[in-house]
Amino acid sequence: MSPTPEALEVELERLHPAAFGWALACSGGDRSAAEDALQASYLKVLDGRARFDGRASFRTWFFAVVRRTAAEHRRRNALGRLWPLAWLGPRADGRPDPAATLAHSETTGRLMAALAALPKRQREVLHLVFYQDLSIAEAAEVVGISLGTARTHYERGKAALKKRLDGDRE
Amino acid sequence: MIERDDHELRERFAGLRREDGAAVPAFRRSLAAARVGRNRRGLGIVAAAILALVALVVMLTMSNRHRPPVDIAGVRIHAPTDFLLKLPGAELLRTVPRLGRVSLNRRAL
Repeated sequence: MSPTPEALEVELERLHPAAFGWALACSGGDRSAAEDALQASYLKVLDGRARFDGRASFRTWFFAVVRRTAAEHRRRNALGRLWPLAWLGPRADGRPDPAATLAHSETTGRLMAALAALPKRQREVLHLVFYQDLSIAEAAEVVGISLGTARTHYERGKAALKKRLDGDRE
Repeated sequence: MIERDDHELRERFAGLRREDGAAVPAFRRSLAAARVGRNRRGLGIVAAAILALVALVVMLTMSNRHRPPVDIAGVRIHAPTDFLLKLPGAELLRTVPRLGRVSLNRRAL
């Protein structure tokens, strides 16, 4: 039996801060793009365009919806940039926005800059494990990859991130 | 060593989470904005559809107005059975006879 809209709203509200953090990560730190992606994800869930089938936890399922929605928005924005004069607008390619990095403290800014240099999958897995406190298996579900692949991304990403952060320190 | 590295990374990410958390928009406000955006998009789609329909009607009306009128009087229909109506010496009926001149074509008879 699928949950009622009221129950879904309660669940979404509970997840809201974490989901916003994830939407930010999926939108390269662009706050406005993250809000758009999150709002569109809420509508998908509440309108029944994305249905929770109970195979995963609600959180991993919803994070996958947010990730997909943010990717759709990025593709739409990329197509929009083909229009004349669209190059004047902001760019969102999934990498952390330099302006967003500057808005954070020095330590966090360094972390964001180091994350920005990683491949997308590694960045996603590390965010899900360290920021969202998900297990590697749950991160694999969100990103839609096998557990083995997620583990590889986790290990390589962690090593690369540590190397970059240590390099900054020296 | 690995655990210490993990702990350090977790602390850094916790700092990022705290800073992001301070700027999280209210859930109700996000939901309300999403619903307003959806209604606005719906209205936009309806308006665009109406505009396209009006443009189509105007285009069809204009193209009919500028088309040259068909001259019905000048139209000659050739039926496939016209040859059955041909009579020997029918050209006599379409020509004006002149005095002193034979207009009948003997070969055609």
